[in-house]
Amino acid sequence: MNDLTPILKLKQIGKSFSGIPVLTNVDLDLYPGEVHCLMGENGAGKSTLIKIISGSYTADSGEIDYLGQTYPSYSPRWAHRNGINTIYQEIDLVPHLTVAENIFLGNEPLTKFKNINKSEMNKKAEAVFNDMGVDMDVRVKLQTLKVANQQLVAIAKALAFNSKVMILDEPTSVFTNTEVELLFKLIRKLKEQKIALLYISHHIEEIFEIGDRITVLRDGNLVRTGLIGEFNKDSLIKSMVGRDVKIERHDDGKKMGGVILSVEGLGQDGVVDDISFKLHKGEILGVGGLVGAGRTEMARLVMGADRRQRGKVIYMGKEIQIKSPNHALALGIGLVPEDRKQEGIVPMRSVSENMAYSLIEKRARFGLVHWKAIKKMVLENFTALNVQPQSPEKNINLLSGGNQQKAVLGKMLCADCDVLILDEPTRGVDVGAREEIYKVMKDLKNKGLAILMISSDLIELMSQSDRILVMAGGRIAGEFSSAEATEEKILALALNQGGNQQ
Amino acid sequence: MAKLLEKIMPSEKANDAKGSLGSTRKSLNSNLKDIIQLLGVLLGMIAFAAILSKGVFIQPINLYNILTQNCILLVVSLGQLLIIITKGIDLSVGMIVGFSSVLIVLTQDFGSVLPILFALGAVIVIGIASGCLVHYAKLPAFVVTLAMSQIVYSIGKVIGGGAAVYSGFNGSPISPGLLSLYTDGIFGIQYPLIITLVCIIAISLYLKTSIGHFTYTIGGNQKTAYLSGVPIARVKITAYIIAGLLACIGGMLFVARVGLGDPQAGDALTMDSIAAVTVGGASLSGGAGTVVGTIIGVLILGVLNNILNLLNVPPAIQPAIKGGLILLAVYLNSRKISER
Amino acid sequence: MEMREKLGSYLSFLNKYSAIIALAIIVIYGTLFVPHFMSVANLKAILFQYSIIGFLALGQLLVIITGGIDLSQGSLVAFTSIVAAVLMAQIGLVPAVVGAVLFCSLLGLFSGLLVSRTKIPAFIVTLGMLGIGRGLAKFVANAKPVPITDEFFRSMGRAELIGVPLCAILWVIASIMLYQFLKRRRLGRYIYAVGSSEESARLAGINIKKVKLFVYTMSAFLTSIGALIWASRLGSGSPIGGIGYELESIAAVIVGGASLYGGTGSVVGTMAGVMIFGVINSILNLSGISPFWQGAIKGILILSAVALSQIQMRRSRKA
Repeated sequence: MNDLTPILKLKQIGKSFSGIPVLTNVDLDLYPGEVHCLMGENGAGKSTLIKIISGSYTADSGEIDYLGQTYPSYSPRWAHRNGINTIYQEIDLVPHLTVAENIFLGNEPLTKFKNINKSEMNKKAEAVFNDMGVDMDVRVKLQTLKVANQQLVAIAKALAFNSKVMILDEPTSVFTNTEVELLFKLIRKLKEQKIALLYISHHIEEIFEIGDRITVLRDGNLVRTGLIGEFNKDSLIKSMVGRDVKIERHDDGKKMGGVILSVEGLGQDGVVDDISFKLHKGEILGVGGLVGAGRTEMARLVMGADRRQRGKVIYMGKEIQIKSPNHALALGIGLVPEDRKQEGIVPMRSVSENMAYSLIEKRARFGLVHWKAIKKMVLENFTALNVQPQSPEKNINLLSGGNQQKAVLGKMLCADCDVLILDEPTRGVDVGAREEIYKVMKDLKNKGLAILMISSDLIELMSQSDRILVMAGGRIAGEFSSAEATEEKILALALNQGGNQQ
Repeated sequence: MAKLLEKIMPSEKANDAKGSLGSTRKSLNSNLKDIIQLLGVLLGMIAFAAILSKGVFIQPINLYNILTQNCILLVVSLGQLLIIITKGIDLSVGMIVGFSSVLIVLTQDFGSVLPILFALGAVIVIGIASGCLVHYAKLPAFVVTLAMSQIVYSIGKVIGGGAAVYSGFNGSPISPGLLSLYTDGIFGIQYPLIITLVCIIAISLYLKTSIGHFTYTIGGNQKTAYLSGVPIARVKITAYIIAGLLACIGGMLFVARVGLGDPQAGDALTMDSIAAVTVGGASLSGGAGTVVGTIIGVLILGVLNNILNLLNVPPAIQPAIKGGLILLAVYLNSRKISER
Repeated sequence: MEMREKLGSYLSFLNKYSAIIALAIIVIYGTLFVPHFMSVANLKAILFQYSIIGFLALGQLLVIITGGIDLSQGSLVAFTSIVAAVLMAQIGLVPAVVGAVLFCSLLGLFSGLLVSRTKIPAFIVTLGMLGIGRGLAKFVANAKPVPITDEFFRSMGRAELIGVPLCAILWVIASIMLYQFLKRRRLGRYIYAVGSSEESARLAGINIKKVKLFVYTMSAFLTSIGALIWASRLGSGSPIGGIGYELESIAAVIVGGASLYGGTGSVVGTMAGVMIFGVINSILNLSGISPFWQGAIKGILILSAVALSQIQMRRSRKA
């Protein structure tokens, strides 16, 4: 294999978003006929790298060699047409067209009269699936297929376009075990056809079963590339987390109080199941896990933002049926959502107004909004959070991400909650704001609030939490006290070594 | 005028100082700039009309007439404004005007006040239906209100026998009290103007209540509003009810002015109200729009009509101009928003 | 799970053929309980009247498949009829007909340009065009109906071929052509692709602007054909004609199984949808029920059809 030349070669790729580097000087070679696994924890830069290879993003620095030519960048369409295909988790196909139409979309075989030659198209599509060794009815509409089969269609589409490089982005995350077997059989076949595969998966066992080489990314840097034999499970996890940062556990000796919120057997089909935990007053309970492990969904169920199908929520000793976030807030449960832009702020409105939403109704006077009283309360939190710039009447769009996040947190402080759910409280936040948010969390904890903190940042999880839950595949995979938690242990649980769900 | 502007406009200094929170809440500067721009357009048009008419246009009587002529449109536009702020659109306001006018005339047998209460009750039901379909069934607002306009129009025709109606079921004529609305007034101001003014104040006040203020919130970002505990259903459905009520008042004014009820009375009002609201700076992507802007929008349309008449543009082509105006306003608003 | 899947497939079957099943039920009802319904004269009357809406619905179908909507059709009917009537008096039959179709298509092209190249939502663009079309019609006609004197043109609207209204035959032919176009031509398939997933379509190299431009122009074109039939039957061009016709065509398309969210919709369903409204209208007339109820029925049918497709979409998303 090594005597071949690589078909795709990334050279010193760098990329940053609004000043924050996401990838720095990453090299990557892909050889025909190899399965190259790309590993790294959340936020290591994997998806950015994939998007650069598939043409969706343009690298800030570096070049891409493909088939002996050097390109600074290219369009997704060019990549698609020239044999670089990405099979995304969220499938990029047209639901209302048939399987065959999807495969040949934009490239349909035509008859003499420039009509679409359906019979030939179907025949060709069937031939592709035959080559893949997959049994598929190419005449049905894509939307009637199961997700796993839709993935197969995406692969077939790539093959029909003479794919040379195929990127599989967590292809098995929605697969059952038998479907995974089928996919692996197919991948072996693709290897024989000298297709280079870049394989991203969180299932470590899969990596060792199917991979040839592994590249590990961490914080946007290339950590190590090596043959699969050079790794074992432990060393792989170690190189993914392998930071030498000393983690300062915040332990101020305060004892936590009694249970305030307890969740039993919470579940919703296809999202999460069997979630049980207890949250104490004056406790920060961290929730770790990979993106897609169902943490946000769990939070939304607790908050009443989505309807739960199973399970009980016991709050302050009483079982409650939370109907809506409105209801949850009235009870004293608040959520700082993960997606600040989509769910955290109301654009074009002032910072103070954004912080005041929970107060507007409570503080009304003669039915009218009593801005004066509201502003007073808002201002307290505004000052405590040290939101910059110090003008609460500024349009919230004009603030930096960190200050917007403080404002969103401030909104929940104004709501006077007893339980706060913080979903990725410091994502996309600069270091200064991050420390300030930690400080606020600690103050709240000391005041006796209970905080459920969802975080993908292992260091944050370990430094801030009193206990840590780890979720994987929509379930709780385990629990650590802050003393016994290590990055390796958390990641090993999160990576869900126990195989697939469903 | 300048004083007034200064009053509304927060100075930069006040904005940055920490203490002066009370006065500057809503007027984000961009909002104010829009209104000044609109005022500029309106004044420019008035000046143009004045020159064109050699001064006749700005005679008080003419200006007064423009105001009274556009009362119904203004009242209806206020309702449309609420809906557009929620990121919806109400294509049924015009037909509700017609329907209410028919209902009010047909129920004249019950005295002069009851008919109006009947009509208000009926449009509340319509508003609740539209609001629920938009909120709970999550159907697009324009489809719901388009369908609703058909239903309402059709009911108006059924009860009125398909044509304009001049008296109640039992033949009672329209009560003189109702008809005098357009002829009488107090302090020399006609009642329609006073009613309109009351509506303006009521809506301005409503937007300052908590539920009213949330109209902006859900239009600005419904997901955030939901997670922040804003009672979305209540806010949305109330908006549709109020839009219906205002259309009903429009219907009442129509009866008073014309002396009949007609299912087609409000035909042009749906379009005109959308035009007025969008010209007045409200964005179809929700969360923006002001009462003041809407008033100016209505006046711009009114003055425009006058100018077109002065220029001898046949009234026939006016729908085309309004259609073009809506497109232009929406286009400019959408560009403005993407710039921000 | 299995129960739900079964229910889902049952629902989707129902959705696919709901229009035809509904049409059959209504026709059976009419035949059994409504005197004179199943008479040649009545059926002809339905076809004469509703083949006009039929043409509009075909155009509306194209737009709705892409996820858009065309609210301008009603006033384009008036506009076309006026242009045809005015031109006919001056330059003769054929140039007038060609000119009317051309002018109307141009307005559609303009809508298409705005929809494909700006961020203005389709319903606003076409709402604006509704005003523009009506205004232009009134302007050209000086707000008065324009009589058409050409006897041949006037006769076409009433013409029959072996006892079947000619306009209905034309409608069926147009429908078959559109059916073939949507099934076999690339552009036809791309219309579905754009409505179903614009992003995927773009990635596949489909020119989305071109597709949108095409459907709005086509909608205006088909509307102008319907308008000519309408003018021919009326014997004049009318600036106040066609009010609310866009609603009928939207209703027919939606009842015919298309989703307002794009990606679905069929010619057969649309034809059935048109006929459903024709038959209901006829039954109302024959049963002595006020024709004024029509609007209410239309509104309720639109709402239920949209709600049904909404429920279906939510189900398929969950699965």
